[in-house]
Amino acid sequence: MTNASRASSITRRKLLKASAAGAALAVFPAPLIAQTKPFAGVTLHGASFQHRFFTLLAKYIPEFEDKTGMKVDLQLSALPVYNQQANLELSSGGSAYDFVNVTFTLATRWIAAGLLANLDEFTGDANLTPAEWNPKDFVDGAQVPYRDAKGATYGYSWEGGAMLMGLSRMDLMEKKGLKIPKTFAELQQVCAEINGTDGVSGLVSWFLHNWNLPPYIQGFGGNIFKNPPGDVMPALNTPEAIQGVEFYAKLLKSAPTGVLTYTEDQARQAMLTGRANIFIHSSAWVTPILLSDESKVKETSRVVRSPAGPVHDYPASNSQGLGIPKNAKNQKAAWEFIKWALSPEISMKLVREHGHSSICRRSIITSDDYRKLNTVNGQDLGALYLEVLEQPGKGENYMAYRTSKEFPIVGDVLNKAFEQVATGQLPAKDAMNAAQDQAIAALRRAGTKL
Amino acid sequence: MSESSLRKATPGRLVAITVTLLILLSPFLWLLQMSFKTNDEILQFPPPLIFTPTLQNYISLWHSAFSASFVNSLLSASLSTTLALLFGVPAAYALSRWAGRGKHALSFAILVTRMAPPIAFTIPFFLFYRWIGLLDTITGLVLVYTSFNLPLVIWMMQPFFDTIPVSLEEAALVDGARTRTVFTKIVLPMVTPGIAATAILCFLYAWNDFFFALILTRTNARTAPVAVVNFMNYEGWEWGKIAAGGSLVMAPVLIFSLAVRRYLVSGLTAGAVKG
Repeated sequence: MTNASRASSITRRKLLKASAAGAALAVFPAPLIAQTKPFAGVTLHGASFQHRFFTLLAKYIPEFEDKTGMKVDLQLSALPVYNQQANLELSSGGSAYDFVNVTFTLATRWIAAGLLANLDEFTGDANLTPAEWNPKDFVDGAQVPYRDAKGATYGYSWEGGAMLMGLSRMDLMEKKGLKIPKTFAELQQVCAEINGTDGVSGLVSWFLHNWNLPPYIQGFGGNIFKNPPGDVMPALNTPEAIQGVEFYAKLLKSAPTGVLTYTEDQARQAMLTGRANIFIHSSAWVTPILLSDESKVKETSRVVRSPAGPVHDYPASNSQGLGIPKNAKNQKAAWEFIKWALSPEISMKLVREHGHSSICRRSIITSDDYRKLNTVNGQDLGALYLEVLEQPGKGENYMAYRTSKEFPIVGDVLNKAFEQVATGQLPAKDAMNAAQDQAIAALRRAGTKL
Repeated sequence: MSESSLRKATPGRLVAITVTLLILLSPFLWLLQMSFKTNDEILQFPPPLIFTPTLQNYISLWHSAFSASFVNSLLSASLSTTLALLFGVPAAYALSRWAGRGKHALSFAILVTRMAPPIAFTIPFFLFYRWIGLLDTITGLVLVYTSFNLPLVIWMMQPFFDTIPVSLEEAALVDGARTRTVFTKIVLPMVTPGIAATAILCFLYAWNDFFFALILTRTNARTAPVAVVNFMNYEGWEWGKIAAGGSLVMAPVLIFSLAVRRYLVSGLTAGAVKG
């Protein structure tokens, strides 16, 4: 091509481009074109703790940025680091973050202190939220921590944890004629009978007793507080609470030595290698016995509902939410992000493309794709997950103790008391009587009126 | 006690030294061996003592945000140490040579800032930094560490200057030296062990700090100790990386201390048997 012809072709191209731009301007006025990327120039600052959900989501964020014109700056830290930094930022009235993870243990505190924006204002505006986004599609039990006393919503859950029971050595149980335990009494019997067989411990657990223990206390009809969140008087020395503590301490007698200090992954590892038969914990920790490549017990494992107590069947559950700080500078942009991140489309993508199962949209959990992906060895794990996650939304919100702002203080006291019982230093009654006094004193020191 | 009895290595003493060393070094050795294991091996019970070492944890660290945090730690610790010495050493000299009333009160006032726990300053620092835009910056960290190390430098260095006879400086002045020359050419070389010991302590304080870094940094200025904690994920702790990160965090301090150990011992014990 000669220089002259190249010059002539460029000129023609430019002319064509200019004509097209002119035509577009004539049809769509300039402001309307700008509106196609309504958040152009906005940098959205968000923070959360590190989680697989965000690692997966990060892959799609460029698509979101391209669609909206905004840049997303997502800061991910370890859970304790994030909680510390976010707590400080929000409680000191900061505006560094446009959206944040609302850690469920902090949710009540943040909502009561007015640190979060009321998301009903966004979902209630048809211009901001299309009908198909459907806030009611989120599992009600997972949404409970993100509502205030009047029912206003301050967060939407992106992750759910449902307490299930994993059994790694059904072969051993069958040999002994033992069935999957459905009650506390059966659980006690199975743990005791399996313990020591073929070098397998009856049960494994981990060091955060204030997570493992309350379902047993509640199973016997007790609770951590009298009537949370309204009445947060500790209820640690009720006969039911003492019974729960005694039961759980007895259960741990069939656990490996040193279980009181086990971390979650140590406990999971004991299950994956078939060194322990039962682990009762959130689905994400239990289901790897069936799903993980590391599992040496895939063929002999089962995942089922955790056993029911004589009074209540209250398996623990939790969820993590996304919310917008009250002082966020870009609230509408933040809502756009939350809407996108928790949309049915993205949720489905995460399930289909990455097998990410701990989402909280009912329509996705009940979909055929989800069921297909999460049915292993004939077990519908999704149905189990949904059943447990829904539970606190039906009738009594029995998980309210866990999101009460007083729980961290009382939970610490409970941990120490349980260790005294489990190590045989004190009888359960004495330990829990002392714990009750300590919890009341600690709450009063912290300014709680009881 | 005679010098020969001090040096005599009896079997009893050797055993005592070995046991003491084992007790002192076991946490470090345990951490180090963990850093060469896979997560599975780390979580095995009982822990395997014979294993095939892997460098995977260190390689993963190198490719993660930890490397940037490590550089942030190096920068903030070395810059703050330099600044603290730059201002603190002349201040200590001035305080040492100053004979005016209020000297002791001033010395005590300088030390008071070190007596208060860091938590007392953290929140005001956080709010102030947010206001002036120093949150999550190396500059912000350097300023905090310098302000905490400055009193330490003054208090550590003042006794060193006190031990240098003023007559030496006067003789130099009589010979025509200027005050600055006296300070840099005569006084400073005599307190080198003290400066080395003080520098190590300042570096250690800044290097090991977790609390200020946790509150005042986010991602850009995150330091190594906070970065190590970031391997404690919600879905499980990355033990291998935690161990490798911990080993790496210890390395510069060990190297620095070994390099100046001669000065460190003489600096920290100077004046111990005087008077």
